[in-house]
Amino acid sequence: MRLSISHDTTYRYDSQVRTSIQYLRLTPHDSERQRVLNWQLKLPRPVRAQLDPYGNILHVLTMDEPHESILIGASGQVEIDVLCESEHESQSALPFLRFTHLTEADPALREFAQLHCKKRRDRSALIDLMHGLHGHISYLTGSTAVETSAAEAFAGQQGVCQDHAHAFLACARSLGIPARYASGYLYTDSDDHLASHAWAEAWLEGAWYSFDVTNCLTKPERHLKLAIGRDYLDACPVRGMRRGGGTEQMHAHVEVEVAPMLQVQQQ
Amino acid sequence: MDRKYYDEMYDAQGKCRPHYLEFARWLAAIPPEQLAQRRREADLLFHRAGITFTLYGDEQGTERLIPFDTIPRSIPASEWRMVERGCIQRVQALNMFLADLYHEQRIIKAGIIPAEQVLANEGYQIAMQGLNLHRDLYAHIAGVDLVRDGDGSYYVLEDNLRTPSGVSYMLEDRKMMMRLFPELFAAQRIAPINHYPNLLLETLKTSSPLDNPNVVVLTPGRFNSAYFEHAFLSREMGVELVEGADLFVRDDKVYMRTTAGAKQVDVIYRRLDDDFLDPLAFNPDSMLGVPGLLSAYRSGHVVLANAIGTGVADDKSTYPYVTEMIRFYLDEEPILKNVPTWQCSKPADLSHVLANLGELVVKETQGSGGYGMLVGPAASKAEIEDFRARLIAKPEAYIAQPTLCLSTCPTFVETGIAPRHIDLRPFVLSGREVRLVPGGLTRVALREGSLVVNSSQGGGTKDTWVVEDLKNAE
Repeated sequence: MRLSISHDTTYRYDSQVRTSIQYLRLTPHDSERQRVLNWQLKLPRPVRAQLDPYGNILHVLTMDEPHESILIGASGQVEIDVLCESEHESQSALPFLRFTHLTEADPALREFAQLHCKKRRDRSALIDLMHGLHGHISYLTGSTAVETSAAEAFAGQQGVCQDHAHAFLACARSLGIPARYASGYLYTDSDDHLASHAWAEAWLEGAWYSFDVTNCLTKPERHLKLAIGRDYLDACPVRGMRRGGGTEQMHAHVEVEVAPMLQVQQQ
Repeated sequence: MDRKYYDEMYDAQGKCRPHYLEFARWLAAIPPEQLAQRRREADLLFHRAGITFTLYGDEQGTERLIPFDTIPRSIPASEWRMVERGCIQRVQALNMFLADLYHEQRIIKAGIIPAEQVLANEGYQIAMQGLNLHRDLYAHIAGVDLVRDGDGSYYVLEDNLRTPSGVSYMLEDRKMMMRLFPELFAAQRIAPINHYPNLLLETLKTSSPLDNPNVVVLTPGRFNSAYFEHAFLSREMGVELVEGADLFVRDDKVYMRTTAGAKQVDVIYRRLDDDFLDPLAFNPDSMLGVPGLLSAYRSGHVVLANAIGTGVADDKSTYPYVTEMIRFYLDEEPILKNVPTWQCSKPADLSHVLANLGELVVKETQGSGGYGMLVGPAASKAEIEDFRARLIAKPEAYIAQPTLCLSTCPTFVETGIAPRHIDLRPFVLSGREVRLVPGGLTRVALREGSLVVNSSQGGGTKDTWVVEDLKNAE
């Protein structure tokens, strides 16, 4: 499946920003599952790409001239291998056993994980866990914020894809299974543009397997991966800081569609 | 409880040890009123110099003077040479361990240290994986905490490879002693230590591949308990003292704001924990760090001393493996001993610890500063039961060790002079070579019988002397 992405983000500020800096993880890289056919970033100024600690492609955008808005555009086409269900990795998965502040497993999450997996530590156990979490935390836009932890979302029984992923990571790690956060894009048939997305991956039998709690999907055929990390903070597409500027208004527009084969072949 | 402690000044028969003879003669000769007068002078001078320490867990956040004791801790030069070799060996092995851990991981493949023990450790930093550092150095500045057991043999209590502090007290204590009692330094050869700031600056400069790098000291700010030391060291080295807000990152390089414009920074002697260095990469709430610092560091445009991710090597749960590291990397026998350690993460160790809590010292693997530890023999029943519950709830967060009979040194107390327990923290600098100034910081537990020497727990300091041995033949 070929996905065509167009992702524009505009930040507007009440007053002038004196300086700002953003960590951008908006560029996918080739993997067993996905092949990047073309990809462009539109940034206010040229920025060199580097790899971040997790191997994600990172652009650090520093602006030290006063500005009132920032436009960031990412677009391109990526081929997804729909038959590929897992990804291998040469680096040890063990660092992904560690909890982070956002993925700390409180007694309730530990108990929930135990209840669904008992002594099992395989993929079917984690699929049961995924369904369990999907049922427990209802999807509700705006019900949580970026700093909401897994435990808080679990207790509140509401959240977005980020909370679903965090809760899954907390549970999997509490079972002794390394798990990591994935951010990227999702293609959906529906109209409600669920395009920027987050899901979880767990390390089972020497490979990373996907668990999309929000959509109860274990085959990542509609998922274009941008970045991975221990939690949202490591993998989120944009993380920035600024001096001045007052209140920020962020507007993001994402379009994900299946690219017509012919058109791509001509490029 | 009657214990046999090793006393630094007097042997088991109460005879003064040779390296203390000169001092003992002086102490016997000086009129008590004159001595008392000079001790009052010392207190006044320390107050005036502003050498204070902010106490954590104190609601008033009071700044407190670290008590300074005028009876020095003295080490014969021959003994010091052994300690020095031992510290160098240990820090070399620890730096090699860190370089290995963040690259080939030979020590894991060799089965010497379990992968999960280090890779899932809180101090392990993924950001350091595969990153090449100049000279393969991670802990440029290390503080090795040593104690002596009943028979006088030295043990390493812990390695401090993150942001070890205390060296300013070492230097100020010496300055004070020389000022108050110059006659002591005229009467015998006491190895000088005042070149430490020069050695530190040299170490920091050689941590960079550049010829004459711009070095700064990065402090969390004046509310940090060691702020005095940060200011002291930057002044002594003649380099800028900066806070996070004084630095910024542009295109993977770090700059300092100055009145003459931006100036690039090449080496940061940072006295800030990993988690606070870069709010865009670590703790997002950190107001103390520099946004973008990690990307600049990983691009190789700035050196951090110490490197990120050294905490995995000085973690108390990694400590038991250090002797094996020395054998593995250096093919040498450890010169300094490790204290036997029970790892509560192991069920068999845990049950031993739970059955012997009253005898043992229990520490948090991630703790420092003497907070969150249990000294079994000195603890109340309630304290022991509290720790038992904590151990059962989170065994992997603790280790336990036998209660060592820390050596004592005569110390001024209210009733006169009495023995008090001490430790020793030499500061080990790794650059082109591994070096120490003779001695280190001696901390003393001022409460009678107390084994906790941390300044946050009511400890004081002493000047530390390395003196030429008296040879009978001469």
